[in-house]
Amino acid sequence: MIYLDNNATTRVAPEVLDAMKPYLGEFFGNPSSAHTLGREMKRAIEHSREQVASLIGATDPGEIVFTSCGSESDNWAIRGVLATRPSSKHIVTTLVEHEAVRNLCRLLENDGYEVTWLDVDRNGELDLDSLRDALRPDTALVSTMLANNETGVLFPIEDIGRIVRENSDAVFHVDGVQAVGKVPIGLKNTAVDLFALSGHKFHAPQGIGALYIRRGISLSPLIIGGAQEEGRRAGTSAVPNIVGLGAACRLALEDDDHARIEQLRNLLEDEILKRIPNTRLNGVADRSKRLPNTSNISFEYVDGQNILLHLDQAGISVSTGSACHSTTHESSPTLRAMNVPFTAAQGSIRFSLGRYNTEAEIETTLSVLPEIVAKLAAMSPYEQLR
Amino acid sequence: MHTEAADHFFNPRNVGDAGEPSFVGRAASLSCGAHVRFSIQVDEAQRVSEARFRAAGCDVLVAAASVLTERVTGLTTAQAAAIGQAPAELSDKLGAAGSEKCVEMACNALLDAIREYSNAARDDWAGDEALICTCFFVSERTIEREIQARALTTVAEVTNACNAGGGCGSCHQLIQEILETNDLPR
Repeated sequence: MIYLDNNATTRVAPEVLDAMKPYLGEFFGNPSSAHTLGREMKRAIEHSREQVASLIGATDPGEIVFTSCGSESDNWAIRGVLATRPSSKHIVTTLVEHEAVRNLCRLLENDGYEVTWLDVDRNGELDLDSLRDALRPDTALVSTMLANNETGVLFPIEDIGRIVRENSDAVFHVDGVQAVGKVPIGLKNTAVDLFALSGHKFHAPQGIGALYIRRGISLSPLIIGGAQEEGRRAGTSAVPNIVGLGAACRLALEDDDHARIEQLRNLLEDEILKRIPNTRLNGVADRSKRLPNTSNISFEYVDGQNILLHLDQAGISVSTGSACHSTTHESSPTLRAMNVPFTAAQGSIRFSLGRYNTEAEIETTLSVLPEIVAKLAAMSPYEQLR
Repeated sequence: MHTEAADHFFNPRNVGDAGEPSFVGRAASLSCGAHVRFSIQVDEAQRVSEARFRAAGCDVLVAAASVLTERVTGLTTAQAAAIGQAPAELSDKLGAAGSEKCVEMACNALLDAIREYSNAARDDWAGDEALICTCFFVSERTIEREIQARALTTVAEVTNACNAGGGCGSCHQLIQEILETNDLPR
């Protein structure tokens, strides 16, 4: 199988699995226990916390709290901030956020909150002036992503943070889920107050996330119960997963593969756009403003889900922004916000590479794809192709 | 989807455009993004001699359209319309539970093409007899002839015999009246 869907999830790295194994075996204690076994579990958690802090450039490990996933981190960040600021009823976010942020903010709109939805341009980039204009004295929270999951477009969180600081008292939350492990991150010298990440996006297992909470930021807990994580997040710590997350962070820092992955991505992107007619890149052309592993390409007038299924039959896994896929019947909000024409959004495919992809796999993909698209184009009812 | 339906998706039959003169029907949905085009050729006996489709949509839509082209070829336009009017049955056959709308869309494009044919044929209609079924341009005289020749007693039998009533159904009352006036002792 050629797996080009690393923005959906990634394979657990062998190094990560090795690090986890003892904690699925002999080290099975509850880290809250005072005995030797419990203390070993606690030690493992704290070691992992340091590794996470180090990958995202936190000031100290105490700023990292483990959660169950990226969505929990986002939900906690947003609800936790709002709970501490009951009189501030204004939120600023963007139209292209992941569902975890977007759907929560939609819910909050029905709950007495006013949300300013920042738009993006055709390239998927934010207009920072509109952010400045959106900030108000009662703005409780600004929440933006670092990297868009569909297009890989990066938002300038340093600049956004500066604008938020200079023009408001709002807390600045960043959904960094899609960026961690793919681009260098240094939160220490930014105005980012909260930062969500998820392990399975960079070779840790599913079911582990973290939230960075800058020292001095107060956040109401989302999950109430025991005193785990210094009383910030109740629930018995998932030690094997936490150890896995730490190992994945170490791997991302020490064995960084970004340049090679970027080369493969560039090869794939350039050749598709060159070899296949009626294609267009979704997202800013300047690659320094996108994740190094992601290409979102529209094959106009054909159906993305059809391309996906034909590639799947050829053993190649990708994803699509087409409306009729999986369970939803709504075309991608990110592509809509970017004003991608309907017939192009329907035929959009996201290729997201990872550390286990090889050049041979990219060549295979490039040899299979043109034929699939040609076959579907021959079936297309759109007159534009005739 | 069932294996046979998946085969129709990966190897769609009758892709393209029916030879001229052909009658074209389309269906599309902006909410799911699907677009399907059906074209049929109809011979003098009102039978579909060729059916072809084009589609940009999900696998179920493509499979449904492909299956439909095979099923309607050789049928009268009324029989073809009856298949198009039974999307639930086709969904079952495809194993497309949950995607009934996609099957329905393929059916609608087929019905649209048949309607095109009927409209064109009606425009050509030169007879001075009263036209009962405007979908399939069947005259009162034709219906009476069929009723008497075959001793028909129900609307369904009439439809089966000469297409009348197989389309929108608005003439069923008229056909019933013709049946009653022709209810002669045999």
